[in-house]
Parts: sequence; structure tokens; C-alpha cells
Amino acid sequence: MIRPTPVQKAHWEEEGYLVFENAIQGEDLKRLQTAFDYWADACKAEWLDRVEAGEAAATFYDIPNPLEKHPVFIDIIDYPSYYGALMEFTDDDVILLGPQVRTVAPWPVSYTAWHPDVPQSSPLHIKVQIYVNDVPPRCGEFAYLPGSHKPDAGPYTRPLRQESMPGHKTFPGKAGTAIMFNSYGWHVSMDNHSDVPRKSIILIYEKRTPGRVSPTQFAAISEYCTTPARRQLFSLTA
Amino acid sequence: MPRIDSHLHVFAKVSPEFPREPTPVCPPEREETAEKLLVEMEKYDIDGAVLVQIGGTSLEQHRYLLHCLKTYPDRFLGIGLIPPDAPDATEHMAELADGTGVIGFRLSSIGGPRDIFEKPDIRTFQTYRIWEYAAERDYVLWLYPRAIDAHLLPHLVQAFPQVRIVLNHLGMCPGKGKFTWDELGRPRIEVTGYNLAMHTTYRLARFENVTVHISGHYAFSKEAYPYPDLAGWHRSLLNDFGPKRLMWATDFPWILAEPGYGELTTIVEKMLPDLSESELADIMGGNAKRFLRFPDRNS
Repeated sequence: MIRPTPVQKAHWEEEGYLVFENAIQGEDLKRLQTAFDYWADACKAEWLDRVEAGEAAATFYDIPNPLEKHPVFIDIIDYPSYYGALMEFTDDDVILLGPQVRTVAPWPVSYTAWHPDVPQSSPLHIKVQIYVNDVPPRCGEFAYLPGSHKPDAGPYTRPLRQESMPGHKTFPGKAGTAIMFNSYGWHVSMDNHSDVPRKSIILIYEKRTPGRVSPTQFAAISEYCTTPARRQLFSLTA
Repeated sequence: MPRIDSHLHVFAKVSPEFPREPTPVCPPEREETAEKLLVEMEKYDIDGAVLVQIGGTSLEQHRYLLHCLKTYPDRFLGIGLIPPDAPDATEHMAELADGTGVIGFRLSSIGGPRDIFEKPDIRTFQTYRIWEYAAERDYVLWLYPRAIDAHLLPHLVQAFPQVRIVLNHLGMCPGKGKFTWDELGRPRIEVTGYNLAMHTTYRLARFENVTVHISGHYAFSKEAYPYPDLAGWHRSLLNDFGPKRLMWATDFPWILAEPGYGELTTIVEKMLPDLSESELADIMGGNAKRFLRFPDRNS
């Protein structure tokens, strides 16, 4: 586990995000890409049926229960390149809320508008977005409004066009890049002007509060959670 | 500022003069006439309304709609339907809209690939010619798309920026098998708790030719009037589309018994209590007057 440097800690406090280039690389990245592509393909038909039934959004889809589909999706939850920062920012008391293993289709507009995920009254809420394929500029890259995570920031108005948010920063990146951000802050997926889908994994964490995640939620993968740290991360301990 | 009910239905008893397809909810003897509607409109100070065809798509089945538009030309505008199997939809459209007060057409199916990952060629969409003709003739398109078609819309909206678009009923897109009639004879659409339209139709807000109806609450809400569970949807619509691109409607006659026409004339101020007086007036009729080019009322 790699702890953040003082510079990284200061940046996190001030800006609300950190970028880990090459966070996952080599064989680990290939293994992740292979599992992603296999399961995205396997789950697509069912997703389309759910879209038709009005039960799923038409513009992106998530592989259902990914942790139960391939252990590589478990291994990235506490991956060393960014997990140390997660632990640092949550006083070594972080829990996983869930993963979104997400394919976003190219579309004339982004599938989502600028938004924060949770109010300041919620416990510290952190997401890590990992690019599974290369995400060049104007191809659905993640964007964040630096400083918008602070309690005294804003108020902000949601603009109609992603690029119209004053002061925002976009994060194009290579496959394997991980972007960690404080979810109190405003963020979005930029428009994708290419014909290539954006493949990414969004991991959702929170500073532990009692009873937030039931011990049964991740019970199906308990065989992969043999260390006390992992059992704590997946709320498998009472 | 006029007050305009921008989406509702009227129909007569089935007769040789006014043929229509009977349904369990609209049996042959049932009638919900323009005159009955006008009583409600007078009572609640509503100046005009958009009559949306019901009871069939053929020209003959539009006779009652055309009769109402001819009888009350300063009170109503009309929206027609297009037979899905029409050999030439444009002929049908031209005939229905030829000086009759029909200003546009309602579509629920777009007819493109169901998979968003397929690169679309809009010229292959089944409704492409309808969109093209609407652009040529300045018709309004009235959209209540199926969930599977929602992703097709921005391609067409982008290609035809001159076509005025009205997304019906809060921009919702009903899922297959999710439509029923409730015990009060009203349409009922089962929807997910999380509003999926946030990722499809609400994303059309950046296109200035797109407006949205504030209507149909009863069909989606899991609560009684004034449907507090839908307040968040309204805040999103107001934020994204702004007060100049929302249009109030009742969906008469389905709402007559519950919650009643009068109650629905106050739904906008209940859902969006922070609107200014002029913003409320825009949503209650000013926007419909401008966007649909409603005629001035004679008296």
C-alpha cells in the first residue's frame, strides 16, 4: 500500500481529486480488460431487454454483480496504487459501497449532467474511476470542478453544456489511469464525439459508519476476503 | 397571458359521423366531448387547449378532432396520429394538417436500431421521412417514445433543429409491458424509482427546439395528488429546460374523477413553488402560445 505524499494530500484537500497515471498496468491491466470485455459482451443482451422494459438506462450499462463474476474486479477494490490514499483520507476506516463496471455508448450528448453525488451532511464519500480503455479528449472523459467539494463552495448552477461549467478540469487518460475524487464535488462525463465507447470502472467508497453496509451484501465473495483488512473493507465483519 | 392546457383528449360516441376504435376504457357509448372540456376550462379560466387524437390513426377516425378544431378555431389546436402502416405518411400528414388546425403529429415509435452501440444512420429510421416532412412543413412533433427508442432522439433532433419538439408527460419513455389502466380508468405506467429519463430525454435540454410537458403525473406517481414523489423530477426539468420550455397540461379526460381538472390547474405551483409569477404564467400557457403559435382568443 502506497500512502500519499504531503503534496498529494495537500492537493486532495484543496482540489478534491488525485490522478494516478498507470495505476494499473501490464498483466494486471490486460487481465482487467479481458474480464471487462468478456462480461460486458455476455451481459449486453440482458441489458437491452431491460432497456426495452424501461428498467435500465439506454445510454450506458453496468455489468451486474461484477465482484461475483471475476476476481479481478475484487482485486482492484484495494489495489495498492490508490488504496493507500483511500485509507489515508478515511483515517484507515474505509468501506466499499459498490462498483460500477460501466460501458458508456458514444452519443451526441453525455449521458449525465454536472452533479455532486452526496450532500456535505453525508460521511466522506470517495469514488475512484479507472479507465479500462484509452479515453482521449472529447471521448467521454471524466471532468471535475476543483474545489467544489469544500463546504463553503458554490452554489453552482448546472449548465446545459458540459464545457460551460466555469473552472472545470477534464481528465483524458490512458487505460489504467485512476482518478480519485471527493464526491461532494461536482463532476460529469464529457460528451463523447468519437465512435468508441468509454469503458471504465467506478468504485464507490465511504468512511465507515455503523450499519451502512450489511454483512450480507458482499457475503458471496467472502472466500476472497481472508484478511482482516479485506473483511473490514467489504463490511464482512459485524 | 393566456392559460393553455397543452395536452388532452376529447372523443365522441362511436357513430358513422365520428368513427373510432372502441376500447375497454373508451367503449362505443362513452363520450368526453369538447363541450364538456370547455365547461371545465371556463370554470378554471383556461383559454385554450391542444387536442391530441385518440381512437385511431386513419383519416376517418380523426373526424371528431377536425370537427372540434373547426367549431372552436380560437380555442383549440390539434395533434394527429399517423398509421404505422401508411404507404406514404406525408400524404396523410398533409391532408390532416391542410388548414384544419392540426399543427403536428404524435409519435411513440421512432423505428431505429434498438442497440445504442450500433452506429445509426437516421435515413434508415422508419420515421425519418416524417421528421423530414415535419421540417419542410413546419409541423410540431409530439413525442412519447418507447423506452427502447429514447436513445435515437438526439440524432434526429440534431439533424432537424427547425422542428419543434414536445416531449409528452414529463419526458418519460414507457417500458414494454409497463402500461396498464388503473381502477379509475387512467393510464398507469410502471417506472423505476430512479428516473431513467435523466440519462435520455432530459439530456435533450441543450437543444433549444425541445420542450417538455408538465403532465401525466398520476400515471407515474406512487403517491396521491399532488404527487410529492415527483417533485425532484420537476426540479430537474426546470433546471435543465428552464421556465420557457415547460408546458402545463392536464391529460383530460383521464383526470376528471381523480384528482379533478381544477386540482391540476394548480399542480405547477405546487411542484415548483419558487417560480416567479411570470415564470408560472409562461408554463401555464405563455410558452404554449409562443411555441405552438396559438391563435388569439376572439372573445
